[in-house]
Amino acid sequence: MSSVQSPPAASRPASGTRAEPSRRRPPQGFDRPRFLRIFTGIFFIVLFAPIGLVILFSFNSSRSLQDFEGFSLRWYEQFFESPSLRDSLIASVEIALVTMVVATVLGTLLAYGLVRARTRWSDAANVLMLVPLVTPEIVAGVSALLLFTQVGLELSITTIMLAHITFSISYVTVVVRARLAALGREVEDASMDLGATRWGTFRLVTLPALWPAVIASGLLVFALSFDDFVLSFFTTGESPQPLPVRIWTQIRFGVRPTINAIGTFMLVISTLSIGLALLLPRLLGRRESGLKMLLGREGA
Amino acid sequence: MSAIRFEGVTKRFDEAVAVDSLNLEIEPGEFFSLLGPSGCGKTTTLRMVAGFEQPSEGRIYLEDEPVETVPPYKRNVNTVFQSYALFEHLNVEDNVAFGLKRRKVDKEEIRSRVAEALELVELHGREKAHPRELSGGQKQRVALARALINRPAVLLLDEPLGALDLKLRKQMQVELKGIQREVGITFLYVTHDQEEALAMSDRIAVMEGGYVKQCSSPEDVYEHPTGPFVAGFIGVSNLLPGVAENGGVRLASGELCKADVPNDCSPGDEVQLSVRPEKIWTEEAEEGMVSIEGTIVERVYVGTSTQVILELANGVRLIALEQNFNRAKSDDRWGIGDRIRVSWHPEHSLVLR
Repeated sequence: MSSVQSPPAASRPASGTRAEPSRRRPPQGFDRPRFLRIFTGIFFIVLFAPIGLVILFSFNSSRSLQDFEGFSLRWYEQFFESPSLRDSLIASVEIALVTMVVATVLGTLLAYGLVRARTRWSDAANVLMLVPLVTPEIVAGVSALLLFTQVGLELSITTIMLAHITFSISYVTVVVRARLAALGREVEDASMDLGATRWGTFRLVTLPALWPAVIASGLLVFALSFDDFVLSFFTTGESPQPLPVRIWTQIRFGVRPTINAIGTFMLVISTLSIGLALLLPRLLGRRESGLKMLLGREGA
Repeated sequence: MSAIRFEGVTKRFDEAVAVDSLNLEIEPGEFFSLLGPSGCGKTTTLRMVAGFEQPSEGRIYLEDEPVETVPPYKRNVNTVFQSYALFEHLNVEDNVAFGLKRRKVDKEEIRSRVAEALELVELHGREKAHPRELSGGQKQRVALARALINRPAVLLLDEPLGALDLKLRKQMQVELKGIQREVGITFLYVTHDQEEALAMSDRIAVMEGGYVKQCSSPEDVYEHPTGPFVAGFIGVSNLLPGVAENGGVRLASGELCKADVPNDCSPGDEVQLSVRPEKIWTEEAEEGMVSIEGTIVERVYVGTSTQVILELANGVRLIALEQNFNRAKSDDRWGIGDRIRVSWHPEHSLVLR
């Protein structure tokens, strides 16, 4: 699973200097050197150009991967009409959904325990929890495979889900934990003081305050799980394989333009879930956007 | 009956003792303040009454019932937190109604009591506002209404005015006192602001290092502090080191000051003589006053008065307050470096050990 933070953070320097409307603007190039803007522009072109090409060629009417000869939807048709690809798509969505729900619940509970339990172990747990985020995915994949064979679990959709859940919990915990720490303990004290039991406090006060973070991290996990390759590759069974693994299998027998259609489709799903993660908290009437939650900058 | 009674309450966090064998009895309807510097154990004491902390030793009684087995949500007390701790996802009305809803109070009654509570704190019309739309003072009022609406036996207030600016704080002090008189609920008030405690309380317990140093009325605590800590913490005190003699104190600077030496002090004991700055005269001394000479080292004009800081023979400093009846009149008379004689009535000096 890939890094969470860098793409949104890259847009920060551009927006930061624009905060002084009333003052006279300092001479051009003094506080905003032009090369920074050019540099940022190049960064985004390099970042998005390949993706743009994939999208463009997914609508190509010919088989060529070099020349665009006309608009057509034939590769999308091929994609949706292929039973094995369709099964893979369904499997991927299933895996991502189950991973999202289970990891979000467990991750939230873990965050709650880590922030609220005052024991000598919580510091250690707080650090250990980060291990999955820095473990090379190939190591995670191999170790998951080893574990499943040792235990005698047959590789299938279920083993992929287990692996994804295990390595997604940390993402949820990091985001929810930051939110919980910002919420502070006094609010929960106040709730108990006013007659709510522990469970009532969690349900009526803590959870509503955490919702934006929970939703944002859940959708992030969905996106990460949906397009994960390495972990899925090591833990998948024969059939159905999740979409990224299926694509890889196909490519071994030659690149066909269907890949572009599948890629574009996956991009849309991932973008949608990330977009929702950023927007939903706002739609729920919160000031904090999901972006702030994911970057851990909320509550400032 | 007492509203709250502490019997030998001690609270330890690991090795650190936050509260040490506390014995206190708070009367119903009293405005009682716990006053002390940060880390003196006042907030821990409050949190034990609320039920967020359990005493390590001793017992706490609420309306004569021991409470150690009662969880916070079943105690007949409510708390106003320093951070306000409002529920950000609920509007003002739902924040205030939170406690009544938990107790399954009938809907009509909730509505009328919420209106009443918001009336009391002068927030009617803001029912639908969210906490983030309110100013600090308004949040404070919501927190107060949210606690008071449950009609607790005791209202616990943890530095509730600490986050407000000075002017608003002064105004809220008067209002809080008025509200307390109106609802007749016992207030247990935690603060580090001595002026606030003096202005509002019926009684004050001055705490330091987990101990109650003195528990008395504001006048008593101010006029008759029982030790150097209380004398220094409440208001400004001049503490002059010296040695007890018969009928007075021989200051380190050499002068003999007439004063009432307490019975448990014998001649030769090292003591401190405490005099409040406003009791010190810079005018001609009257018959029977203690008089002492010093050099002016600083004069601080603070509007209603001018602080005159004197250095005595041995380098001890003494602050005298001169009321500015006319415009800073001492301007014309002395400057820095002048030697003047100040004096006070012997009954205003206090011998502390």
